Amino acid sequence: MSRVRIIGPKDGVDAVLRAVQDLGQLQLAELPDRAGVGPARLGPARERRRRQLTRLLEDARDALHSLSVAPQRVAPATIATADFARWARLARRTRREARTLLDRQTALRDERALIARYREFLLAVLPAIRKVDGSKRLTSHAVVVPASARGAVDGLASALRAELGAEFTMSTHPLPGGDVAILLILPNEFSNRLDARLAEARVPEVPLPDAYRSLPLAEAVPQMLARLLAIPAEVEECERNLAALGKARGGEMRKAQAAVEDWLAAASARERTAETGHAFTIEGWLPARSVGPLEQRVREAAGATVIIETIAREDWGAEDAPVVLSNPRLFRPFEKLIALLPLPHYGTIDPTPFVAVFFPLMFGMMLGDVGYGIVLAALALIVRARAKPGSLARTGAEIAGPCAAFTIVFGVLYGEFFGDIARRTLGVRPLLLDREQAVFATLAAAVGLGVVHVVLGLVLGAVTAGRKDPKRALGRGMSAVMVLLIVAALLAAFKVLPARLFTPAVILLLVTFPVLVFAEGVLGMIELMTTLGNVLSYARVMAIGTASVILAVVANKMVGAVGSTAVGLLFALLFHLVNFAIGVFGPAIQALRLHYVEFFGKFYSPGGRPYEPFGHGTALAVPLTQEKPA
Amino acid sequence: MNIMWIAIGAAAAIGLTALATAWAQSRIGAAGAAVLAEKPELAGTVIILVAIPETMVILGFIVALSLILRIGGG
Repeated sequence: MSRVRIIGPKDGVDAVLRAVQDLGQLQLAELPDRAGVGPARLGPARERRRRQLTRLLEDARDALHSLSVAPQRVAPATIATADFARWARLARRTRREARTLLDRQTALRDERALIARYREFLLAVLPAIRKVDGSKRLTSHAVVVPASARGAVDGLASALRAELGAEFTMSTHPLPGGDVAILLILPNEFSNRLDARLAEARVPEVPLPDAYRSLPLAEAVPQMLARLLAIPAEVEECERNLAALGKARGGEMRKAQAAVEDWLAAASARERTAETGHAFTIEGWLPARSVGPLEQRVREAAGATVIIETIAREDWGAEDAPVVLSNPRLFRPFEKLIALLPLPHYGTIDPTPFVAVFFPLMFGMMLGDVGYGIVLAALALIVRARAKPGSLARTGAEIAGPCAAFTIVFGVLYGEFFGDIARRTLGVRPLLLDREQAVFATLAAAVGLGVVHVVLGLVLGAVTAGRKDPKRALGRGMSAVMVLLIVAALLAAFKVLPARLFTPAVILLLVTFPVLVFAEGVLGMIELMTTLGNVLSYARVMAIGTASVILAVVANKMVGAVGSTAVGLLFALLFHLVNFAIGVFGPAIQALRLHYVEFFGKFYSPGGRPYEPFGHGTALAVPLTQEKPA
Repeated sequence: MNIMWIAIGAAAAIGLTALATAWAQSRIGAAGAAVLAEKPELAGTVIILVAIPETMVILGFIVALSLILRIGGG
């Protein structure tokens, strides 16, 4: 990153800001705090315009949200006063119309849900209600007893029957969710007493839609049942109207939104410039390679009176500089895995290249099967071909590609093709090790990978710390050396390495121990223990891998073991499918974890500020005071 | 008899650590899901927090494996 300062005559500031916005590379820095230099003010006319445009933006966003118009990048246009007035009216009208349609749709859906909930009950009690309606002496009440009070229904019935006599009848109907709908029929003279009883017991009436509340049940029920059939058509009509409105005005609203966001971003940027009586100054960050293009653009827009100077590295602190990850194309998809964490501090190590190498390596080491690797590669190719560039699916496919390649390579080394198929049918032998049998060797390979990965992390930690904290760098370096010495001593003790190496390794450990304590204190010792635990954590590579191969072998054994060959084959295929799904998900999560916890823990320094340049349609284009649409 | 005790020891090593990990992850996972609903940008941190207790079961696995290898299981 480079920090630049742009200085020029005050009347050229708008042209310069336009050029900067068009380039879209400069992240504006906080206002420089210098005597005689103050923040620029927008002026009353622009402040008024900003308020109007903020309202317009609110209307446009809400209208687009209500109309479910998909977001799309639109080249922002310069706003003419006529456009602005037209857009403001259009956005207000569209928002109102869209809201009305949405509210109507919601009301219809609520009405349908309410009637549908009681439909069965209403159908069941309709004959009884009609009979009561024809009688002058009887009245009916429909009530709902909540699920929690279901047990009390029988008691309530007995009590009411005892109190109201033989003319009282009650029919119950269970509702979805456990509530019970009840129709109570009783003589008219007891109606008030029943109301009081129900109010005491807090038993509500069946909630009818507003339009039917004033009608007697005998009239309301048939109307509601007919309404249930009519509502879907009305909902569809609302949907059609919303879609038509979106089609007719969505494009214009998006255009208005883009133009207004741009104007507001430029206004915010204007306030980030500082000025004196005659001059202005802007400071900001941009990638070093973009300084030349910025100079060219600004000169073209504002002439030679504007000066751009690069501020020396010693004059700005790394903690203020924004961070942008910049990697070769092959490694770029793996930046998404880093993006799940806060960005690293400016000037520290970008771990993307290491992740790009070790993540697929670990994945392949765990899945390690030529057949599964081929399937994964085919899926990755299909998704990559169909997904849009920059989409999550495309990135996932680009990460899956190297993972599939490593899976095939390790599949060859393990001699695995959908488990043991190649071994059983073609007599293929593993080139490196048989994971099914050589459990200890697989474990040793996994922990060996852990040693390499963790030591690499410690070395990177030493390099990162070395720039500003030599003592910590020494501690990290000593930890790396001690891990290697402990491994060497263990290997010598188990005679994997010559036994004569054991004593020198232990002596060196005793020598390095005080250095570690000097560099990192007593905590250094605890950290060393944690580091050894981190190394052992890589045993999961072996555990997941062995589980995967055993499942694949079990799948193969199903052919011939379950009924006919065809049924067995089907079961085997299903089992392989499940194993493949687990085999892709498990290793991906575990490899990610090993990176985030074991590897990054040794050197990664989170807390970097993201690089958000001032441009068209960038983050800064969204006004900070703007609320999200409801 | 020895083989039985070694097998029980191995089962306890993996079983108890698996239970402990599962319990810890259930608590952290529930809290993590709540955090993600509010702040999806903390996905990486949540993954780390959920993943931390796994070390217990991995260490249990290594102990169990070393015990099983002792009775000639591998």
